[in-house]
Amino acid sequence: MVDSALLLPAPPPRDHERNEMWVDEQIWGHRLWDSQSSWLLFLEFLNVAEASHREGRLLDERGCYYPLEFKPFQRMILRNILFNNEMLFRISQRFPDSNSAWAEWLTWMRDNARGVRSPDFSYLKTRFASFQQFASLVAMLRASAVENETNRRWTTRFVFPFGPNALYEDLDVRPDGSLERQYINFGRTGELLYMMLCRATGVVRLRANLAEVFSGQNPWNTVVGLFQPQASADELQTRDKSYLPYRAHPRFDGLAEDWQQILELCLPGFDALPHLVTLSAFHVILYQLHLAVEWCGETRPVHFICEVVAPKKTLVRELSALNYQENTRLPQRAVEAYIKRIEESEEWRQAAAQPGAFSTCQNVLRERVRWPNDHIDYDGPNDPSSLMGELRRKALARHRHHVANIHRNYGRDVGLVSKRGTNKLRYAPTDPLLKALILANVPQRMEYKEFLSRLYSRYGLVFGDLEAGHVLEGGEYDRKAFQANAERLEQRLGSLGMLRRLSDACAYVQNPFSRNTP
Amino acid sequence: MTLSQGAKWVRFLRQYGPVPRNDNMYDEHIRRSAQRAGVRPIAFTHPLEEEILSLFRAGTPRPSSVVLTGTAGDGKTHLCRKIWSEIGGDEVEWSSDDIYYRRMVTIGGSPITVHVIRDLTALPRSDSRGGYADKDQLLLLFCRTLLHPAADDVFLIAANDGQLMEPWQRLPASDEVGRVRQLLESLLVEDHRESEGIPLKFFNLSRVPCVTLFDLALEAFLSHEGWRECAQEKGGDREFFDPRSPIRRNYDLLQTPLVKARLRALFELCDCNDLHIPIRRILLLLANAVLGHPEVKDRLMQAADVPGILQRGTAAKGSLFNNIFGGNLSDIRRESLEVFNYLNRFRIGHETSNRIDNILIFGEADEILRPYFDSLLGSDAFYGADPSYHAAQRAYIEGVEGDEVNARAFLDLLVSQRRRLFFTIPEAQENELALWELTVFKYAGEYLSRVLPVLKSGGKVDRSILARLVRGLNRVFVGMLVTTERELVLATSFSFSSSKVSQILEDRIPVTPRLYERVDLALEGERLALGVQLSDTIHCSLPLNLTRYEFLSRVAEGALPGSFSQECYEDMLAFKSRLLGSLAERRRMEVSEETGVLTFRLMNLDSLGNPTDEVVEVSHG
Repeated sequence: MVDSALLLPAPPPRDHERNEMWVDEQIWGHRLWDSQSSWLLFLEFLNVAEASHREGRLLDERGCYYPLEFKPFQRMILRNILFNNEMLFRISQRFPDSNSAWAEWLTWMRDNARGVRSPDFSYLKTRFASFQQFASLVAMLRASAVENETNRRWTTRFVFPFGPNALYEDLDVRPDGSLERQYINFGRTGELLYMMLCRATGVVRLRANLAEVFSGQNPWNTVVGLFQPQASADELQTRDKSYLPYRAHPRFDGLAEDWQQILELCLPGFDALPHLVTLSAFHVILYQLHLAVEWCGETRPVHFICEVVAPKKTLVRELSALNYQENTRLPQRAVEAYIKRIEESEEWRQAAAQPGAFSTCQNVLRERVRWPNDHIDYDGPNDPSSLMGELRRKALARHRHHVANIHRNYGRDVGLVSKRGTNKLRYAPTDPLLKALILANVPQRMEYKEFLSRLYSRYGLVFGDLEAGHVLEGGEYDRKAFQANAERLEQRLGSLGMLRRLSDACAYVQNPFSRNTP
Repeated sequence: MTLSQGAKWVRFLRQYGPVPRNDNMYDEHIRRSAQRAGVRPIAFTHPLEEEILSLFRAGTPRPSSVVLTGTAGDGKTHLCRKIWSEIGGDEVEWSSDDIYYRRMVTIGGSPITVHVIRDLTALPRSDSRGGYADKDQLLLLFCRTLLHPAADDVFLIAANDGQLMEPWQRLPASDEVGRVRQLLESLLVEDHRESEGIPLKFFNLSRVPCVTLFDLALEAFLSHEGWRECAQEKGGDREFFDPRSPIRRNYDLLQTPLVKARLRALFELCDCNDLHIPIRRILLLLANAVLGHPEVKDRLMQAADVPGILQRGTAAKGSLFNNIFGGNLSDIRRESLEVFNYLNRFRIGHETSNRIDNILIFGEADEILRPYFDSLLGSDAFYGADPSYHAAQRAYIEGVEGDEVNARAFLDLLVSQRRRLFFTIPEAQENELALWELTVFKYAGEYLSRVLPVLKSGGKVDRSILARLVRGLNRVFVGMLVTTERELVLATSFSFSSSKVSQILEDRIPVTPRLYERVDLALEGERLALGVQLSDTIHCSLPLNLTRYEFLSRVAEGALPGSFSQECYEDMLAFKSRLLGSLAERRRMEVSEETGVLTFRLMNLDSLGNPTDEVVEVSHG
């Protein structure tokens, strides 16, 4: 059950007038967005964090839970150079002489740069030894762009986050050249992630580690800085209005602990980032499901029966597919439970019993879920139960549009959910996910059985028979199948170089990047 | 019908082999079978026996507890019994089913209570004979004994390594329990004998090199008087030990120096790959090697089986060389026994070279290969080119198109023959015939003869070998076919240090020592390692077991890193990550000026595979 002491009041309705109703938002926040890949989620987070750091309040809400306001960079000049720059390489080839190449290119950019008030790129000439050098550095930075394979518009392409100089928010350029912040790629979930970390118990230590990321003391950040004019031409705009309904939650703490572990490994270069990306999106899935369980009063804890892919179909695969189906329904059940609560509340019953019930009931609903607002919202029979029925129908339809897809979309993105080798979705963790989990949970080494137990207690991941016994009732499962599953995981971890077998029956999971590994 | 003594010996010997049996009662079972057969069990002194027993003698200055661990079948129970006997314990008392025993002895001049727990996991909640009230209390006493050395109790605890750590997790948490847990875990995983200031000696019997155990077991096996009984037999039963019998033939072969040496090399290589074979399984291997045959009960011959085998002419199927790899057993049985699993990892019988196969298939008919055929196969009419071999060979060469069955039969025979060749190619011809290409570790011969012994005797390994390893490592680090072997190339890509292709050059470490930098091969403990020295204080090393050695050598010769072993590939990338980390540490220690110029070195390869740098200098204000 939801701990009401942790619930924060909803923000004023005028802040979110375009929301058709306020149901998913009160359960999980505004908002969980399904079309956001894990890297975009992380980049959105970095922008909020960097902007806060700039104002001296990294991961510090200063007791004010809403609204979260911040002013991210826009860096249109940099983005034009990196991603709106088809002519660059052609010019570089056609004009071997640096000066003429510059001249040609500067002219082209002046005419073709978009989203920049007065495009003057001439400062670049003084920064680089030659046009060719400039071109090869641009090529290098482009090659490092995040998720290069996807076919996105140029304003939604992101250079690798080397440091503050490389961060900027997602924007669209209108035909008239003005900039618009849309919420289709950066869908606000990154802001929720930021708030979760702000409210985690381990936040103080995390601040120190993260501050290093934003200090920008690395050569690559400096290089990216070279592409931009001294005085930032950005007119920064304030972003706000994301809402996280809980002032604290164990899921926030779990997220922060994992981040802390990864950062403390002090991996070389930027090697820590992909693991943070994977774990963050995974924790969002956990957040959604755990809250769903709390809201719908389900007693069994959230768990994921994981198959380690075998050559043939196994019992574990069957159970995993069933488990996936159950979990997918959980958020929806939470929405149903939420609405049921309203229906069974004193307030509603009383309203429905009096004369003028329909109108009073409508008011009750407007109070609780900001719906219906006018005849377009509801045009049916004037009785409370039809009204409630319509609310339920619409709320579920709305939920299925986006929030319901988080489990599948994020699950596939982090490598938890897949159809590999079969035609049904189920849980089959990939190597990158397994690696990230080991790095976050095994500081140096851990006995294998203890590792399995830890994966279960921290995330609900079930691989072996002991853990399966916790979540499945007696006759439902076959111990041998799960034992074989755990053995296959052992071999898998071995081939990742992260498991050491001392003998037939004794194995230790090892973190090869631990500072203390001999 | 009573069996002759020799036949009884053979029947008893089968008990050591892969017969269906409950392994828990192994010791008991062997002893009872030995008694029934009127023979002595195969025995030898465990290499650690003396050291362990001395800890319990009166003359020892200070008493200390002992933990005996290892995998099942390593001799823990056996050693426990010897210790019990050494401290004057009663043999009859020991043969009960109890787990806990206790005795007062004098060690170092004072009276000490020795608590013996012969199997930690089987320790019951409370002792039926009143030795202890509660299991937890007993274990807590053990913890106290370790942490407060003035105590007058010592413990002897035996536990399988997979279960050694569990009981401590179930004790109520406390500082003491936590410390003991940490201690045991680090002794186990880091392979130490003791920890300073703690009166405990930790013996992990699985760490004894299996080549040492092999030597002892083989000697005890071959010299057992049971064989003399067989040789002295007269009369009808005698047939099982006459020269035509596969049992006799196998026994004789196992005594030849060349077969012993090759088998020993395989054990040594298992050690080099960190694979441990417990004593019980070594004896299983030997019994199976001599008695194995696919067509008898339990796949192990008895005296009575031999006449039938000879009559049917199927003696060749009981070939020692095939039995060593469990070829006589069913697939399931073979795969379930780790000793065969490990030996089969060498893929002997399935790996080959053109040279060898030409001799096997065409040797008889070819002028040049004929001498080889004659000396290697023709000379052994028993397991070599026997009539069934000739028949199958003819059918294969002259065979009808699409005759699957005969082709299959001959190919199976080839597996057997290749295995035989591995044990019979004379030392003098090892290089010429590329003996180790009969295994999956083509560089194993070099590893055993030109690397390990050289380092053990204090010498230096050949430059060309180190160069090859460096070249292999460079190919993995850079992801391109670099040919450079005089220096180690540390490269990353912009965002990830371990992406497949890395083109930003961070540094180059010369193999030949320059200032403090160097790359070399050395022994760390007993194991081979590649060491990279970055400064006078910063050193990184990569342990090179046989698999990694083979991996790097193959990559150096052109194989793709992902093809031989995914695990090795990941290990190399982890090593690179450690090197980069150490490099960053060194940079931090170096005083560097702020020049306002950033330098990057982009790597590319010229047509010969040498890396070329393109230096990109960028000035920043």
